[in-house]
Amino acid sequence: MSQKTILIVDDDPDVRLGLHVRLKANHYDVIFAGDGMASIAEARKHMPDLIILDLGLPAGDGFSVLERLKANDSLSLIPVIVVSARDLNANMDRALKAGAKAFLQKPVDNAQLLSVIRQVLGEKNHTPAKKVHDLGDV
Amino acid sequence: MREKALQILLVEDNAGDARLLREMFSKEKPDSFEFTHLLRMSDAVIHLAKGGVDIVLLDMGLPDGHGLDTVRRAHGAAPGVPLIVLTGLDDEVLAAEAMKVGAQDYLIKGQIENRALPRALRHAIERHRMQTETDLIRTHQMKFKDEFLSHVSHELRSPLTAIYQFVTILLDRLAGELNLEQQEYLDIVLRNVKQLQSMINDLLEVTRVQAGKLTIELQCTSVFDAIVYTVNTLQGAATAKGITLSFDKDRDLPSVSGDPTRIRQILIILVDNAIKFTPTGGAVKVQARVFEQDPGFLRVEVSDTGCGISPEMTERIFEHLYQITDPGQSGRKGLGLGLYISKELVARQGGKIWVRSEPQKGSHFFFTVPIFSLTSWIGPMLAQEKKPGDAIALLAVEMGSRDGWLSPDVRKEMSHMARRLLQQCLRPETDVLLPTMDSASVRDLFFVVVYTQEHGAEIISKRIRTQFQRCEQLQPADLTLAVSHSFLAPISREKNESMETFVEHVAAGIQDRINIIRLQRSV
Repeated sequence: MSQKTILIVDDDPDVRLGLHVRLKANHYDVIFAGDGMASIAEARKHMPDLIILDLGLPAGDGFSVLERLKANDSLSLIPVIVVSARDLNANMDRALKAGAKAFLQKPVDNAQLLSVIRQVLGEKNHTPAKKVHDLGDV
Repeated sequence: MREKALQILLVEDNAGDARLLREMFSKEKPDSFEFTHLLRMSDAVIHLAKGGVDIVLLDMGLPDGHGLDTVRRAHGAAPGVPLIVLTGLDDEVLAAEAMKVGAQDYLIKGQIENRALPRALRHAIERHRMQTETDLIRTHQMKFKDEFLSHVSHELRSPLTAIYQFVTILLDRLAGELNLEQQEYLDIVLRNVKQLQSMINDLLEVTRVQAGKLTIELQCTSVFDAIVYTVNTLQGAATAKGITLSFDKDRDLPSVSGDPTRIRQILIILVDNAIKFTPTGGAVKVQARVFEQDPGFLRVEVSDTGCGISPEMTERIFEHLYQITDPGQSGRKGLGLGLYISKELVARQGGKIWVRSEPQKGSHFFFTVPIFSLTSWIGPMLAQEKKPGDAIALLAVEMGSRDGWLSPDVRKEMSHMARRLLQQCLRPETDVLLPTMDSASVRDLFFVVVYTQEHGAEIISKRIRTQFQRCEQLQPADLTLAVSHSFLAPISREKNESMETFVEHVAAGIQDRINIIRLQRSV
């Protein structure tokens, strides 16, 4: 089975690298974009299986990226998970309405992130490759 | 530069009084005051709405308006314009009341000295201007503070995310093996990351409290489930400190009308505090029972065998940023926001929170939540004069996600949308959408009580199905929907039965049916 490709859109290089290491360890191929504009170009070029999207981005924020993805016939089929530090109460509703599958608040618990990714990709029976440290209930 | 003439609106139906008042300005410079004299309240409201008035002199007895009502209307039409009321000698009490609903000052007719009126007007305007400025500055400051706190808290989350990511990468051995010492130190980092995150969350919660943006969604909620959740969540922390954490296994507690997430949040704060302030070997216990002093409430108690709180502190600990110094522990204290947040959360759900404690003998924290009562929901509907039928149907709408919910938040959001949609399908006077029944089930269950015959129930069911299929926002979750309805055993009000008993009777019937449906689902 070929590995699924995930496009990570985040303007923070540290967060991008952190996600990269985590996802690679769970057997995903990872590609990146650091701003809104690049994210659309990367999505077109690679047609990823999933997009992890931050909201606060230069050159077109996350909502406008979502809008552009959903307005494009082939890109609109790629599932999007919004992962943002922004307030959940104020943004969740808007993100889901714009077509995102889920809104996760940063810092995202590893176990939760992986479980949502697997579910969106339809890999329900896939068990995590390694033991995962989670954030727990704080 | 010549100063602009002061625009005075005089609203007075008595021609003699009006003339006297005007005469008081005769000694003033002719172009410094300009009068508009109106006789009726309705004209005054229109004139005020046009703007341009600097001050209003208002008689409280007009042909089309009387007493405080005139003040409210004038103030409502132009809240930014200072207002002086004119009263008779025996109306001073009323005049004082007028100041509470928006008047700046009052003058008693017949007691106004000649030169005093223009001066009183100028003062009123000046006072009003200063008050408005102070209010404005305060509003700005508050808004700035809230925005600042909210901004800072969100900005803090980004670096925290990176720290969390890499600490867990190391701990999960994704970057190679660790020795025991390294593992131990990284565990310490992770624990502190969690503490920092919890503080940021508290800070954000407080800004929400202060901005009035705390979201509370009252549902039919099980306190027992919330207690089990809390004890499970914090059992690890208690055990690690050598503390026994236990709860009353009384499953027959009545459901409450509260927000399940918020009740869990309150319990987590109280139990977490109890563990923090109890020394090794101590015990923390959670109990709930019907409140003896007011049987409409459930009383939840979190007790500990910790250091206790002195009497003078028991009031203050619920204040913003108040902290008790813990004599037993030289460590950190947190932000001191937990109890303040709890107090707000309890109050917003209609309950009270308090503490009983003695130093060295432990503390008992109590809070109350209103017991859920179906009667208050269906009472107004049953009292309706116009009844489209004499039968009562219970509609059960069950919503699930084909692939399972992606996260509890997604589920909650979808559940909100579903409720809004359901509400649109109902007739507001005769149909009642009952609050969400919190259940551990994977599907959401909504109940609607409808006054209708078989035919009507089918129409509503069909309408609900169609609306849900049409709703685009509900599509991404791949929803499943099941709508069913059943009728309560023929119910009609007995001859001598009071309305109250009748409502209780119907409520009991609905409750039985709901219990059966919930039971069937859980099998």
